[in-house]
Amino acid sequence: MHWKPQSPKPLSTIRGYALAVLSVAAAIGLALLMRRLHFEGVEIPFFLFAAALTSWYGGGRAAALAFVLSCLSFDYFFVPPVYSFRMTSTDIPYFAAFASISLLVSWFASVRRRVERELLQSRDELRIEVAERTQQASLLNLTHDSIFVSDMGNVITYWNRGSQELYGWAAEEAIGKRSPELLRTIFPKPVEEIREDLLRSERWDGEVERTRADGTQVVVASRWSLRRGEDGKPAAILETNNDITERKRREEEIRALNEELGKRTTDLEAINKELEAFAYSISHDLRAPLRHMVGFTELLQKSADSILNEKSRRYVGILLESAKKMGNLIDDLLAFSRIGRAETNKKLVSLDEIAREAVSEVRRETVGRDVAWKVGALPAWYGDGSMLRLALVNLLSNAAKFTRTRPKAEIEIGCMEQQPDQIVIFIRDNGVGFNMKYVNKLFGVFQRLHPPEAFEGTGIGLATVQRIVHRHGGRVWAEGLVDQGATFYFSLSKSKGA
Amino acid sequence: MSGLGRIWMVEDDPRDVELTLTALEEYNLANEVVVTRDGEEALDYLYHRGNYATHSNGNPAVLLLDLKLPNVDGLEVLQRIKSDEKLKMIPVVVLTSSHEEKDMVASYKLGVNAYVVKPVDFHEFVNAIKELGVFWAVINEPPPGSVRKK
Repeated sequence: MHWKPQSPKPLSTIRGYALAVLSVAAAIGLALLMRRLHFEGVEIPFFLFAAALTSWYGGGRAAALAFVLSCLSFDYFFVPPVYSFRMTSTDIPYFAAFASISLLVSWFASVRRRVERELLQSRDELRIEVAERTQQASLLNLTHDSIFVSDMGNVITYWNRGSQELYGWAAEEAIGKRSPELLRTIFPKPVEEIREDLLRSERWDGEVERTRADGTQVVVASRWSLRRGEDGKPAAILETNNDITERKRREEEIRALNEELGKRTTDLEAINKELEAFAYSISHDLRAPLRHMVGFTELLQKSADSILNEKSRRYVGILLESAKKMGNLIDDLLAFSRIGRAETNKKLVSLDEIAREAVSEVRRETVGRDVAWKVGALPAWYGDGSMLRLALVNLLSNAAKFTRTRPKAEIEIGCMEQQPDQIVIFIRDNGVGFNMKYVNKLFGVFQRLHPPEAFEGTGIGLATVQRIVHRHGGRVWAEGLVDQGATFYFSLSKSKGA
Repeated sequence: MSGLGRIWMVEDDPRDVELTLTALEEYNLANEVVVTRDGEEALDYLYHRGNYATHSNGNPAVLLLDLKLPNVDGLEVLQRIKSDEKLKMIPVVVLTSSHEEKDMVASYKLGVNAYVVKPVDFHEFVNAIKELGVFWAVINEPPPGSVRKK
């Protein structure tokens, strides 16, 4: 609303005085003119008009000047004897009436002016407040959050655009309604308790379920602030709401996934236990019949030796040999499975020492052969000493086995790469090597690249090595050429599981 | 060597029994062997119950105990023996196919006197049985109250 002020601004002091002089002069002129035209007794209204005009537009001081000038000029021009300032006591009532009317007019003028000033001031204040409120409201409309205000009877008094977007009700639909009914709010605890919390701490936050205008459910994180009036009494509740339906859904998903994970872990544990029982029964039940096969075949060999021919003796020999081989297979398989099941006991170990132990163990297998052993400097590292020793024994024994056909075997162990968090150990030999085409088969259980009559073995050794290295967060690989030797590498990492 | 102690064997597998007896026979150690076939029978024997209500008094010089037995298993028999004042002195040798560390640990915790894994190889098996028999039935001086053939 724009409205023009209905009165001009008060004149400056000098202009006020000028107005006083001019208006009084005009009154004198007009009064003299009237006297010339023989109108008698009309002087006072002219002077009154001059005084009123001056006090209206020129303020109190100009009015006083106009009053004094009016009195003097009236006395001088119109009170007999004219053209002199002398006057008689009979003139006093005229002056008194004139003075009181002038004062009254001045007083009215000043009151009017004061009222007008106050009015202007409060209008300006109101304008500023309206501007501020408008700005705040539009800022509140900018936020994505739903914000609404309700009075202590839960009747909505303010509703921002975020609320409209969240709940689907427009401001004009929502304002004036009670929020619990409009939004069909389901509170996490009795409303009375929430109210108590709010009155006590002036704040409350929690998750509430509400229904949108279209009937769909929404879960919101609701934060309430209590606003008190100037008298300190609770006046309004400001609610900020965030839609957490999606978050809740994800949380629910995560919870379900965790539950599923927990179930799977339990299943896995059960399967692991089963496997353990399985390995146990292999260890016990598979060995017993094997022992009987060997035992009774030996007894047969002994008791029937005299009646067996060469061919039958060979058969008995094969029986015994096969049974023993199966015994070895079972032992290796059990060792392999035990590595998967056993807890690793990792601490700082001297790989140098472990390598020396492993070499001296494998050396016993190579008695009578010409083998040049070369052990390079190896660092200390975090790992399970006995497992790493088993891995090295397997690799070295492998090297010893496949260099058997060499007149002078060379087996070297060393550290190829050393970084703060990873090392690579290699075992190199000048043995029969292998075809790189089959390199991916090397580390599989029961995988063999050489015929058993050439090189014995169960095909579990390298699989065991791989399992040990994996349990140390490392990786194992090999390079080789047929008849040109082979090199096996494995890395050990410090970060993973160390 | 004051005589031959009685060897008591708890073993459910008849073939193992036969092999063991054969091995012991080879060294003339089989005469005083008592065999029970499961844990319950073993407990009957120990407490003179059931079929063993009338057997002669006196504890064996050694008990060769298999762990995997029907009904009452070997570890339980071992536990009963080692917690009984009258029986705890009987030397018990666990003779098993099990390589499992937990069996070994459990046996030693219960106070077993020796733990022997049956070798698959017959010669090793026979040797092991022979050495066990000779040691416990002949060389070792058994606790008082054991049955001994003069």
